Amino acid sequence: MIRFVAQRLLQTIPVIWVIITVTFFMIRFVPGGPFTSERAVSPEIMRNLEAHYGLNRPLYRQYLDYCSSILHGDLGPSFKYPTRSVNEIIADKLPVSAELGMWSLAVALVIGLPLGILASVSRNTWIDYACSFAVMLGICVPTFVLGPLIILLFAIHFGLFNASGWYSPIDRVLPSLTLGLFYAAYVARLTRGGMLEVLSNDYIRTARAKGAGEARVILRHALRGGLAPVVSFLGPAIAGIVTGSFVIETIFEIPGIGREFVNSAFNRDYTLVLGTVILYAGFIIVMNLVVDIVQVWLNPRLRFE
Amino acid sequence: MRPLDPDRGHSPWSDAWHRLRQNRLALAGAVVLVVLSVACSAGPFFSQSYREQNLDLGAMPPSLSHWMGTDDLGRDLLARTLYGGRISMTVGLVATFVALAIGVTYGAVAGFVGGKLDSLMMRIVDILYALPFAIFVILLMVFFGQNIFLLFLAIGAVEWLTMARIVRGQVLSLKRMEFIEAARALGLGRRRIIFKHLIPNVIGPVIVYTTLTIPGVMLLEAFLSFLGLGVQKPMSSWGVLIKDGSEKMEEYWWLLVFPCALFSMTLLSLNFLGDGLRDALDVKASKD
Repeated sequence: MIRFVAQRLLQTIPVIWVIITVTFFMIRFVPGGPFTSERAVSPEIMRNLEAHYGLNRPLYRQYLDYCSSILHGDLGPSFKYPTRSVNEIIADKLPVSAELGMWSLAVALVIGLPLGILASVSRNTWIDYACSFAVMLGICVPTFVLGPLIILLFAIHFGLFNASGWYSPIDRVLPSLTLGLFYAAYVARLTRGGMLEVLSNDYIRTARAKGAGEARVILRHALRGGLAPVVSFLGPAIAGIVTGSFVIETIFEIPGIGREFVNSAFNRDYTLVLGTVILYAGFIIVMNLVVDIVQVWLNPRLRFE
Repeated sequence: MRPLDPDRGHSPWSDAWHRLRQNRLALAGAVVLVVLSVACSAGPFFSQSYREQNLDLGAMPPSLSHWMGTDDLGRDLLARTLYGGRISMTVGLVATFVALAIGVTYGAVAGFVGGKLDSLMMRIVDILYALPFAIFVILLMVFFGQNIFLLFLAIGAVEWLTMARIVRGQVLSLKRMEFIEAARALGLGRRRIIFKHLIPNVIGPVIVYTTLTIPGVMLLEAFLSFLGLGVQKPMSSWGVLIKDGSEKMEEYWWLLVFPCALFSMTLLSLNFLGDGLRDALDVKASKD
């Protein structure tokens, strides 16, 4: 087990390295720089700024310096937020996104799982069709459509919530709902598919023949196997949810890290772009590893392969 | 429903057509799409101009003369929504075609040639997958400037990866199948095998995935417009209208609701049609 995890983590090092290298050079080839702005800056100041951040050195030197500072766990200074380091920005904003992500995940599971199970046990009835339609709606209506509509209805029309902000616990409700419903739709779709595949197995018939109640058959015997596709989906999805959503954080004005993924590219904040990319890629890789471990726990047959 | 005539032979395509016709949701999706495309392509010729301003009128809620109301510059929202739909659908189709052309060629070459070239080409795809694609598109857009034709190319250049994987997998498994070997044994040339036997068998998954790529592309276009990187004024697309609508929704709800409704309806129809085609052609392609 420990060997397996260690092996997998070692394999990810070249992948991360390639991602860092490609992103590093890609963002440098984009015209403009972190200090290009509407305001004219005198050439001396520009030179001093570039010298301060080491931007006047040859590109390969900067690349090597960056690589060595990463090995020390330092993601470098931010260009857009002077006096702040990328490590500080991430430490500051990631918890906000992560909290929003956890609530959204809860929404996704609490709505998605029961809906998927319900649809699979009542296959090809109107309940199943209604669930499928709701699921398709959830997948097709993007968050930047659903978010404003939810604000329009619950914040402006009924006046139940604040339209934006991230201050009191009640401000968590609308963003979590908006982000969570999209994932709930996927979870429901995958749960239904996984359950349908499992329910036709022999061991389910055996459980029924033994006289196990329907609820016990579904929840105890079928669900464990039926969750496999959901778990595979949730791995990378959690990585995406936790590192924040640009759209949700923009619409609801939430100070999370998700906004920095896009804004840093606009600002040519080279170190912050790389920092967010490394953060995201790292999360994805770790979550995929967790998925593989959970899959074995859910389906012990995999242990012998 | 007319049952299939058991005495007559029928091709896999007629079987698929028969199955598709029984899927009501897919048919409804197809009908909605036809209606919307006709409305979007012909509508702007009949309705008021999408850029004609009427500042005295200002923003008016839906009425008999303006079915979807007008925006704060007095422009008819129905005309603007139809015109925006035209752009969104064009982007969807053209960018998907770009993705199709790159993906099918790349995947077919990798699958057919195989060996070292195949593994090299697929590692490249793996790495491109791992890059956060939003950043990639934004970089392309900033790099190439905000030209609508480059927007097609940029989106197409991002969306071809899955297509390449699907086609490669298909070609890889098909070229080892017995009917290909039989064709070879019958003395058919390589060209004839590729065009007569391989391509027709790849078309099914490609059609299915194409119908599912179009909504993905339209979403991406709308997302870029939402960021202000997509279609530029005075042109508009559904993404632009939704963005404008969400900025003004506190006073003028209709500016948000109608573009959202048409956009979601189109995506929903495309997905239902795509799912129906998948079931009809019995393709085991991945869902995303």
